[in-house]
Amino acid sequence: MAEPIVAGVAESDLGETPDRNWLDNAGIATVRALEDAGLALSDVDGVAVAGGDDYMPALVLSEYLDLEEPSLLEGTEIGGSSFEHFCGHVGDAMARGRADVVVIAYGSTSKTGPGRDRSLEVTHPVDGFLRPTGLFRPPGAYAMAAKRHMHEYGTTEEQLAEIAVSTREWASMNPKAAHQEEITVGDVLESRPVAEPFNLLDCCLVSDGGGAVVLVSAGKARELGVPEISVAGVASTSTHRQDISEMPDMTTTGAAVTGPKAFDEAGITPADVDVAQLYDSFTYTALVTLEELGFCENGEGGSFVEGGTTAPGGELPMNTQGGGLSYCHPGHFGVFVLIEAVRQLRGDYTGDRQVDGAEVAVAHGTGGVLSSSSTVVLRREA
Amino acid sequence: MTGAESGPVEDRRDSWEGPVPVPTGANSEFWAATLEGELVHQHCEECGTAQLYPRAVCTDCGAVDPPFEASSGVGEVYTYTVCHVPGEPGFGDRTPYVVAAVDLEEGPRLLALVDCDPDRVEIGMALEVTFWQVSDEAALPVFVPQ
Ligand SMILES: [Zn+2]
Repeated sequence: MAEPIVAGVAESDLGETPDRNWLDNAGIATVRALEDAGLALSDVDGVAVAGGDDYMPALVLSEYLDLEEPSLLEGTEIGGSSFEHFCGHVGDAMARGRADVVVIAYGSTSKTGPGRDRSLEVTHPVDGFLRPTGLFRPPGAYAMAAKRHMHEYGTTEEQLAEIAVSTREWASMNPKAAHQEEITVGDVLESRPVAEPFNLLDCCLVSDGGGAVVLVSAGKARELGVPEISVAGVASTSTHRQDISEMPDMTTTGAAVTGPKAFDEAGITPADVDVAQLYDSFTYTALVTLEELGFCENGEGGSFVEGGTTAPGGELPMNTQGGGLSYCHPGHFGVFVLIEAVRQLRGDYTGDRQVDGAEVAVAHGTGGVLSSSSTVVLRREA
Repeated sequence: MTGAESGPVEDRRDSWEGPVPVPTGANSEFWAATLEGELVHQHCEECGTAQLYPRAVCTDCGAVDPPFEASSGVGEVYTYTVCHVPGEPGFGDRTPYVVAAVDLEEGPRLLALVDCDPDRVEIGMALEVTFWQVSDEAALPVFVPQ
């Protein structure tokens, strides 16, 4: 059996959690995911955690959960794709027998918590070149990449809007989604301009909340008798950090590298993917990721998504919980991408929300400002 | 450095309410030059790589402290956005404003404000640098249509 196996997934409460801090949300998601797996805190060998406004998040969460002699402490912060990235490290550790139960966790209070540092004296060596330009980040940075894509390939604002519309259709079936009322391409184009070419409905939400994914070794999975959802392929890379002008070619991302690697490891092609969970910080993020992962040719993402290709009943069901655009987006969305992929493969849903017979899912995280890319292929073992 | 001026410097120290860069390490020489109206970049003597933002190492061959030289201050828009929501303190009265990734003639790409009518900006547009002095230590490179 391929390792690791995803034995449990869960969210904390989402939306607004004014009575919680990031650790509370990460902790609640962790215990819920352990319960989903049939495990307890005392079974946990380690944590993998990013974000959380803390620069030693793995230590802080281990302390908060009072873990005893954790053998795996993973806190690599590569933005929203950290959680997909963790799957590879955790798998390596399990292959060497260093851990049997590891929780990937995230918590945030992006909506109601304290905002980011806005001091006017910029001592950070890179930010000194960015912040004085006034660029509204991250939306403006992604917007610049989208502009270049439109220039080179003729991608239109209407095509970007198609992604928001299809994603909202999925959200309309998710009681946990922040926005469930259906929208049209016209609604997206007429929503408030943010950073051209993006309007408000091209942009993800700002939410509070947390999520957790429990990874276990093959032996532990057999012991637990959980459905065998395996991590069949993983790859990560980066192209730059937070300065979008450092990105060599803004019309392509690291997914062009990580997609083929993860697919090769899993022994699949894009045609084998039954359901795609692709980080949608902005409509463009999902569009360019579809291209780079090989669901369509470079530059053809716009025409690919026309006509509800990624909507319920479409050829490639994508972001089936409503995505960062309509469900929730507490700063780092990568953990929620994994959670939904697992639920689809387990067949947790009914009706149109469930992708019939889903056996192979791709979960792709994008962090920073199109900076880090991490692809995970998940498979339901027969 | 050559001492050639890349563009005019306008003193905005009294009116600027936005973030200001605090020069540190490898970028100190860059910011010092801006006060003289000079846009500089690093040009490696070992391998010829031209780079910004400034670093203590050449990103190609690893040479330490690649020297600075003056740029012409001329470039073109690689891409841009028009911000309708202010991204930083002090930008509230400025919306909508243009921020671009500017490809300098010498090669490096720089993120910068473009001081022009948002309806006028387009990809490939030729720009030249001017400077807004925002502190005693730094003047921001701000581009205008050529
Ligand atoms: Zn060099």
